[in-house]
Amino acid sequence: MMRDRERMRIERPWLWLGLIVAMAAIFVADTFTNLEIAVAVLYVAVILISARFDRPATVIWFGAASAVLTVLSYLLTPRGIHETGLVNGALSLIAIGATTYLALQIEAAEARVRQTQAELAHMARVTTMGELTASIAHEVSQPLAGIVASGHAALRWLAATPPDAGEVRRALERVVADADRAGEVIGRVRNLVAKAPPSRNRLELGVLIEEVLALTRGELRRSRVVLQTDLADDLPQLLGDKVQLQQVVLNLVINAAEAMGGLETGPRDLLVGAASDGRTITVSVRDTGVSLPPAAIEQVFEAFHSTKPGGMGMGLAISRSIVEAHGGTIYAAANHPRGMVFGFTLPVAGASVERQHG
Amino acid sequence: MDRQAATVFVVDDDVSVREGLDSLLRSVGYAVTCFASVREFALARRPGTPSCLVLDVRMPGPSGMDFQAELAALNDPIPIVFLTGHGDVPMAVRAIKAGAVEFLLKPFREQDLLDAVRVAIEKDEARRRDEAALAELKERFATLTVREKEVLAFVAQGRLNKQIAADLGLSEVTIKVHRGQVMRKLGAATLAELVRLADLISGTGRAAR
Repeated sequence: MMRDRERMRIERPWLWLGLIVAMAAIFVADTFTNLEIAVAVLYVAVILISARFDRPATVIWFGAASAVLTVLSYLLTPRGIHETGLVNGALSLIAIGATTYLALQIEAAEARVRQTQAELAHMARVTTMGELTASIAHEVSQPLAGIVASGHAALRWLAATPPDAGEVRRALERVVADADRAGEVIGRVRNLVAKAPPSRNRLELGVLIEEVLALTRGELRRSRVVLQTDLADDLPQLLGDKVQLQQVVLNLVINAAEAMGGLETGPRDLLVGAASDGRTITVSVRDTGVSLPPAAIEQVFEAFHSTKPGGMGMGLAISRSIVEAHGGTIYAAANHPRGMVFGFTLPVAGASVERQHG
Repeated sequence: MDRQAATVFVVDDDVSVREGLDSLLRSVGYAVTCFASVREFALARRPGTPSCLVLDVRMPGPSGMDFQAELAALNDPIPIVFLTGHGDVPMAVRAIKAGAVEFLLKPFREQDLLDAVRVAIEKDEARRRDEAALAELKERFATLTVREKEVLAFVAQGRLNKQIAADLGLSEVTIKVHRGQVMRKLGAATLAELVRLADLISGTGRAAR
């Protein structure tokens, strides 16, 4: 909790500074104007804005500070009628108290929405992973097959006369590498299935995408899709929830594979690209499956709208809510000469901060 | 079986599996050549030694099953051992019906794989032996005279010397002499064997396994 708050403070330093300067300005104005002028009611703006930190403690802190400053101003103000000042101060305090209460309510409602969205996203993620079980089992069985073969080979090279130390060493090195690989697959699955609270971290989008692709390789192979990637080397970092963004990429890749899985003829090419213009990063997933008509494209991101038989129609809706919660946009368009492009654009880490305090 | 001469071709797009199989099969004395795709294998030169193909079912691009059909269309008789990470019963049945030696699920048991490879190599050796025998028989057949070939055809149909003599307007003794020549040239000790060889040459019979 403490660390979270620290990160908030680091993430949005301008917002903190702005609010504190505003409070100071209100305090000065309140103190140096007559008691009849209720400048203190302006604190309510500060309290409402402080709700943007998404932390009840912060709202309470600003509310309490406002109340204390209001009383202090009343005591320090040299001019004016004290009775009027007292009424003004009391009204200001009531306004501050009511606003703090409302801000806390708003904050709590938003937190519930976020919580529900996170739970829905988690459910969808678990469902997707469930559908991928066979492919993920394949991703684990590949290195296991390698381990079985290399392990037995090592035993045989050891039993040979004379034993071949070089072959044994190479075989064991492969065993270790394969075991690591199997462990990585399991770790990634665990991360995606685990129920973790939403987080905001600096992320390398290229690494994030590669990890998702490593998990879907079996599925792509099963659908006999040829995967190509075009991930720019110098992608800037972005702020976000790694698991949620992985879920978006996972959804888009699985959708593309499914769109091509039913093809009778033609290439099954999947191109996953990521590029940046310095302010934003755009990730695109192109397939050569069935193109959707323009009317259908407009609806793909709506909940319960599915173009797949047996689809729930939640994947893209959840993807959109995740991308939008990250300050980005998601899009769909027809690919040429056929298929679809799904993608999303996210602000890079620096730009994200700009946007939030602007 | 001379294992030194046998070659196992491994086609798998996964480098772990490929290198593991390479080491394992070499450790039991096979020559091993690995490929990451069926295309690479199709372009490779193959030695004239007994060989078999260890093939992953699902790979990017053409699948192992597609490639099996392709080889069959090209009359390429190389025996195939299939490996797969996620196979199902219908797929296994289809592969075996199309002539695959074995269909193994990854991660496979070492002994199952080695057994399957041994069976596949033996199958290839048997085929090569049969082909060599047939080639030799055909060479011998080529040394027969026109008349002898005629007589052989009648014998193969199960006609008696007397009937053949009547058909060809020759004496029964002459037919007997021709028949004796045919049996000697083709290396048949009995009438039954002669009929079998005649079937082999005409392509209606199957080589004994």
